[in-house]
Amino acid sequence: MTEITDTIRNEVKDIVYQFFAEQCEVDINEINDNTTIISDLEGDSLMFLELIEIFKKKYDLDIELKTVGKYVLKHPVDTIGQLIGTQLLMIRHGNKILELD
Amino acid sequence: MKKKVLVTGMNMITALGLDLEASWENMKAGKNGVKRITLFDPEGLQTQVAAQIPDEFGEYAAGFIRKRTTGQMTRVTQMAYVCATDAVRQAAIDFEQMDRSKCAVILGVVSTANTSAEQGTTLKNTVLKSMNNAMSAWISLEYKLLGPNFTVASACASSAYAMGIAYDMISSGAADLVITGGADSIINREEIEGFNELYALSVNPDPEKASRPFSRDRDGFVIGEGAGMMILESEESARRRHAKIYAELAGYAITSEAYNIMAPMKDGEGIRHTISEALKNAGVKPEEVDYINAHGTSTTLNDMYETMAIKKVFGERAYQVPVSSTKSMIGHTVGAAGVIEAIVTVMSILHDTITPTIHLDDPDPELDLDYVPNQARKHVINCAISNSFAFGGHNATLVFKKYA
Repeated sequence: MTEITDTIRNEVKDIVYQFFAEQCEVDINEINDNTTIISDLEGDSLMFLELIEIFKKKYDLDIELKTVGKYVLKHPVDTIGQLIGTQLLMIRHGNKILELD
Repeated sequence: MKKKVLVTGMNMITALGLDLEASWENMKAGKNGVKRITLFDPEGLQTQVAAQIPDEFGEYAAGFIRKRTTGQMTRVTQMAYVCATDAVRQAAIDFEQMDRSKCAVILGVVSTANTSAEQGTTLKNTVLKSMNNAMSAWISLEYKLLGPNFTVASACASSAYAMGIAYDMISSGAADLVITGGADSIINREEIEGFNELYALSVNPDPEKASRPFSRDRDGFVIGEGAGMMILESEESARRRHAKIYAELAGYAITSEAYNIMAPMKDGEGIRHTISEALKNAGVKPEEVDYINAHGTSTTLNDMYETMAIKKVFGERAYQVPVSSTKSMIGHTVGAAGVIEAIVTVMSILHDTITPTIHLDDPDPELDLDYVPNQARKHVINCAISNSFAFGGHNATLVFKKYA
């Protein structure tokens, strides 16, 4: 289990915001935690997978994609804020994320 | 009762231009779109010329496609997407005002061309780039269309087949509007080698002369690339939204020769059958046809058999009906050929102008129809047909009429 510090929290937020700003070609200032990924940003589901890979590398996470898939089925990720929250839980709990239920 | 099917939008990307207007103007001027291949180094290949779309396409496409999406598309899928979105824009279609469940996308696609000629290809998007339904999927996604969305494959007749199926959907009332057409490029080392093995391609190194349908010394087709999109719509729908109407698609025929995987049926019998069926289905008599946009590939057999078939269908009048080959200028665009040539046919009707068969200075003495050599011609056209024939024996003829 990794303790989530303010530094990690801010890093994750910055990475997610920058990722969507770049990939969706929008001004980063137009993105907030309530921005919806599909409707507002015209994003796609692959973006979530790409971000998982980014965070797996950055924080050396031990988490399988199928675990993330199972978690997201019960906890849908529609907004940027939800996505950041899920990424933070992944960093903190890794494969044990399913045990949170 | 069958509904009338109208052409309410068109666009094409060809070696002669990145949109309808540029391509049409250059075709009218009889320009040649063939040049030495630059998409990759063709050194060592028997065929080293092709009709590539303008180099500016990448920059042009950036105005239509987001950077991320560009990476998920092949260059050919980008052509289809850009061509379709520009066609929709020009046709001023507001899908918010339409029943999206009755709007469809039906494309003719041989492949998305995720080949060695792709620039910057990575494994990351291999599936999205390779899937054969990608073009229709992206277009449907763009406009949130909820009607049928699929791809048909019948080699060089693919987009003509797609248009035929679109016609059926509209005339039967199953759809109000269909975005139909296709895009293709086989300008890559492996496919050129493959077609060279079949002796299908011209090996003439002179880009100014290589594609020469109906000529005595023709030696095969020249590869082209591009996209064409046509918006077909029911008359009720077109009138409801006060759409600009270009022409009527009066009918079509798609047939199979069931003869040979590559060669057309002897004496053009399969082609004759297709043209005859199309005219019958459209309720058009042979004497009503004012122009034929030929498949006209510049191969020995196609040009000979197509000529024979035209003579059989039209009898003595065959000599009075102008026939021209768009492929003389933009090469053979394979899966996109059917729709691009259909668009040229509609433009010919609209402007009473026939685009020429260029490079026709020394006609084959056995081919003695009026092939509109080298220069465009003003000619009143109330009805015209567009032919497409393919390896595998897939034939298609589309019949267009001036809309009155």
